[in-house]
Amino acid sequence: MNWVKQLFTRRRRYDDLSISIQEHLEEKIDELMEDGLSREEATRTARREFGNVTLLEERGREAWQWPTLESIWADVKFALRQIRKSPGFAITVILTMALGIGANTAIFTLIHAILMKSLPVSDPKSLYRIGDSYKDCCFTNGLENDNGDVDIFSYDGYRHLRASTPEFEQLAAMQAGQTLTSVRRGQSTAQTRTGEFVSGNYFNTFGVRAFAGRVFTDADDEAGAAPVAVMSYQAWQSDYAGDPTVIGATFYLQSQPVTVVGIAPPAFYGDRIAPNTPAFWVPLSAEPLLSQANSILHQPIACWLYLIGRIRPGTAVGPLQAKISANLRQWLLTQDEYLSHGFPAKIPKVHVVITPGGAGIQSLQQQTDKKLYLLLSISVLVLLVACANVANLILARGMKRKIETSVRMALGSARSRLVRQMLTESVLLGCLGGLAGLAVAYAGTRMILSLAFPGSLHNAINATPSLVVLGFAFLLSLITGIVFGMMPAWITSHADPAEALRGVNRSTGDRASLPQKSLIVFQTTFSLVLLVGAGLLTKSLQKIEHQDFGLQTANRYVLHLDPLGAGYRPEKLAALHQALEVQFAAIPGMQNVGLAMYSPLDGNLWTDGVFIPGRPTSSADADNDAMLDRVSPNFFAAVGQPVVRGRGLKQNDSENSRFVAVVNQAFAKKFFPNEDPIGRHFGIYEQEDIGAYEIVGVVANAKYAGPQTDAKAMFFEPLSQWQHNLKDPIFVNLETQTHYITAIVMDFHGTPQNLEAAVRRTLAHVDPNLAIVNLRSLDFQMAGNFSQERLIARLTALFGLLALLLTSIGLYGITSYQTMQRTREIGLRMAFGANRNGVIGLVMRGAFRQVALGLALGIPIALVGAHYMADQLYVVKSYDPLSLIIAAVVLMAAAMLAGFLPARRAASIDPMQALRTE
Amino acid sequence: MAKNPEHRDLFSGALEMMILHSLRLKPMHGYALVKHIKQVSDNLLQVEEGSLYPALQRMLREGLLESKEGVSAKGRPTRIYRLTDAGMRHLEKEVSSFEKMFAGITRVLAVAKA
Repeated sequence: MNWVKQLFTRRRRYDDLSISIQEHLEEKIDELMEDGLSREEATRTARREFGNVTLLEERGREAWQWPTLESIWADVKFALRQIRKSPGFAITVILTMALGIGANTAIFTLIHAILMKSLPVSDPKSLYRIGDSYKDCCFTNGLENDNGDVDIFSYDGYRHLRASTPEFEQLAAMQAGQTLTSVRRGQSTAQTRTGEFVSGNYFNTFGVRAFAGRVFTDADDEAGAAPVAVMSYQAWQSDYAGDPTVIGATFYLQSQPVTVVGIAPPAFYGDRIAPNTPAFWVPLSAEPLLSQANSILHQPIACWLYLIGRIRPGTAVGPLQAKISANLRQWLLTQDEYLSHGFPAKIPKVHVVITPGGAGIQSLQQQTDKKLYLLLSISVLVLLVACANVANLILARGMKRKIETSVRMALGSARSRLVRQMLTESVLLGCLGGLAGLAVAYAGTRMILSLAFPGSLHNAINATPSLVVLGFAFLLSLITGIVFGMMPAWITSHADPAEALRGVNRSTGDRASLPQKSLIVFQTTFSLVLLVGAGLLTKSLQKIEHQDFGLQTANRYVLHLDPLGAGYRPEKLAALHQALEVQFAAIPGMQNVGLAMYSPLDGNLWTDGVFIPGRPTSSADADNDAMLDRVSPNFFAAVGQPVVRGRGLKQNDSENSRFVAVVNQAFAKKFFPNEDPIGRHFGIYEQEDIGAYEIVGVVANAKYAGPQTDAKAMFFEPLSQWQHNLKDPIFVNLETQTHYITAIVMDFHGTPQNLEAAVRRTLAHVDPNLAIVNLRSLDFQMAGNFSQERLIARLTALFGLLALLLTSIGLYGITSYQTMQRTREIGLRMAFGANRNGVIGLVMRGAFRQVALGLALGIPIALVGAHYMADQLYVVKSYDPLSLIIAAVVLMAAAMLAGFLPARRAASIDPMQALRTE
Repeated sequence: MAKNPEHRDLFSGALEMMILHSLRLKPMHGYALVKHIKQVSDNLLQVEEGSLYPALQRMLREGLLESKEGVSAKGRPTRIYRLTDAGMRHLEKEVSSFEKMFAGITRVLAVAKA
């Protein structure tokens, strides 16, 4: 490259030029001396005839340089000198920008990692998913979507599509939900880790090779193949310290022997970003072994798989989508199980949507994208407020440098050059701020991650800034530098040199005051928007936190455990449940113990269709869903859910007595409006158990599914009752699944430390193979449901306060500065009889005008902004006058303080002294 | 700088052309170039010493010339300039276009006289 060479040879060129000119002059002097001139005369003549050597050398050099580039470097050097000259100013600017840029970079790091990145696999662009939503996570029976949009598949459905869709080079299946898996090596105690069942071609589809050992293939995914697993690199490192003997070793997953054949590469965290990425991948064929009686692999309508495949180059997605939809409809009509469960009415609507699959399973993305963009908008507002503050600072400083600027302009400096120089300085400050901001961003990202996904073991999101993030921060620094530097540079450079040189402190106002005031207005506007947002989100969080969940949380603890993982077969469950109930009840301080299929708000739920005898089996569209939880008799007491009618469940509701159920108020209202539900019957297995359960009691509503949705219709059945006469295999399977408990809720009065030790002891006494999945207070478990909401509310409040602080400082600074400028005027007013209060009023009125204007502009913007974040609010309406009033009052109060301090100072001016100042 | 009214300003490109042409005869250093042009034109043309060096730098940059270390007639270190192939081609192009222009001017002047 020619210009590169030139760049490096320039120094030599400059020397060459000097040597040439030097020699030229010498030769000329020699010649002139030969003509009889003295050396001095000759030198003088030669130089005169040659001209200005320095200028000529410079002009000669100009042929070689990019004048802009070199003078920019000079500007940078000059700017650095200026910054060194006023370190206090520089530090203030850099810190302000570091906060602004850091906040934005932290949020951008998350947005980039979560929303913009593809999976770390080969050629993610050619990956496509069959399905577009994640509504049907993670296990459904048949076609549960009313609109026929299929996104989750059964094993049979997967195999059919894979065999009949050659357009997919590879089509892999992966478990929609991930399961907690009990993992044991040799005689060590079992640990609970995340596991995922995937098809044999999973790794090949993604083009992922083993880090060590091998990945499994289709051959490992055949019925009868020896059970294998691939371990994640992170699990290998953190649980087994990279022990090479892990590869080829036998592990016990869910108490079943499985050979670990390889380790996945370090970068591969699976097919999705999730708080807990899988520690193990296991072929689908091993599911019956690991899930035992709960196995769903061969249940024809059990849908639990997401499909992602690699499309052959040149395949058009639209026609493929139509083809698969038609194919699926046709196939469903040939499946007895689909025909027998009332699905035919839904089959004509069945269709699939093919979506890009390079980012894998994006359920986390769908949950968090709005929140992340909300945070980004908030942090951009903070950055703007920070920019305005810095612009004001620079402007004030520019006024101080007015004389210097004027002199330079009087001496002929080009205006553009002055602007460029000032911009260079602000961009440099912006970049320094950005550099410091990277540290803020790193710390911020880590904090956000730990708060948003507490307790994650293996996280797919990394807080260390990537190249893209660094680029973003740099670009942002440049832009902010220009944004906050442009206006001051323009204004300062348009100063009239003559005016400035004539003297200072003579005017009542000056050129900068209007722009400075507008900056304050602008800051007030955005601060109000931020404060209103913070108010709304905080209020919403409070509503979520302090709502009536319908439960008692004081002294309540939840133990999660996994009898299935410990290898319990269905026939052993009754004995286990009884032993657990008795022995936990015997722990000193234990008031009530309740066993349950799942506990409130622990992330699990189970929905069934409810069938009431005598009522026509409703049309396919009618909603007859209700949540089922299977519990022990003391469960209601343990969670503090009061029985409002009839009775709760009792010890003598046994296998041999009539089948009973307790329903909640929402259930009673949904299925028996205006009727007494007590004594009514219902069933859940279509025609097989018509009216099997009799409703014996009604409990108050409580929230099980989520803190932000109303309590759903729900019914509770005793763990001790089991319908053994079911025929349809899927019903037999479901009945079995619902009898495995995962939670024990305890009402315990004593110190929590004692509880943990006692729980461990008791569990080991019942069965040493039963591991504690987790033990936590019910409060903590419930709070986990809104940790993201809490994080956003706190961050917004923090950003709002930061903006308030910046605005107040800005207002204080500008008011002080202007008061100082008006010293003479104020002195004059006081000399003519203005009193202290009058002066204070004069100054404060000026400050208030800006704030009031800012508020007037901010209120409509805040209302619009609130409207856009309405879906992030719980119970609170986006139009909330109280939040608006509080925000405005807080801003006013801060402004009053910021205006009052300089006003008081102004009022204490001694008129005589003021008039003498110059 | 005061200008000698006896000498006309050279039109743009003329200085380059003369430098190129002179260097085509033999590589020279700066002062020798000035003297050469002055002598050959019988003092009719005088190169402003000041404009010589920026012109040389410009042509170096464009690759029409190259320079290497050398010594002057008096044995002092200097830089010797020589024509490159590109410089040769450029010169020929310039000369031919100059000749056309000159011929054109001559004809116009001839008409005016008649």
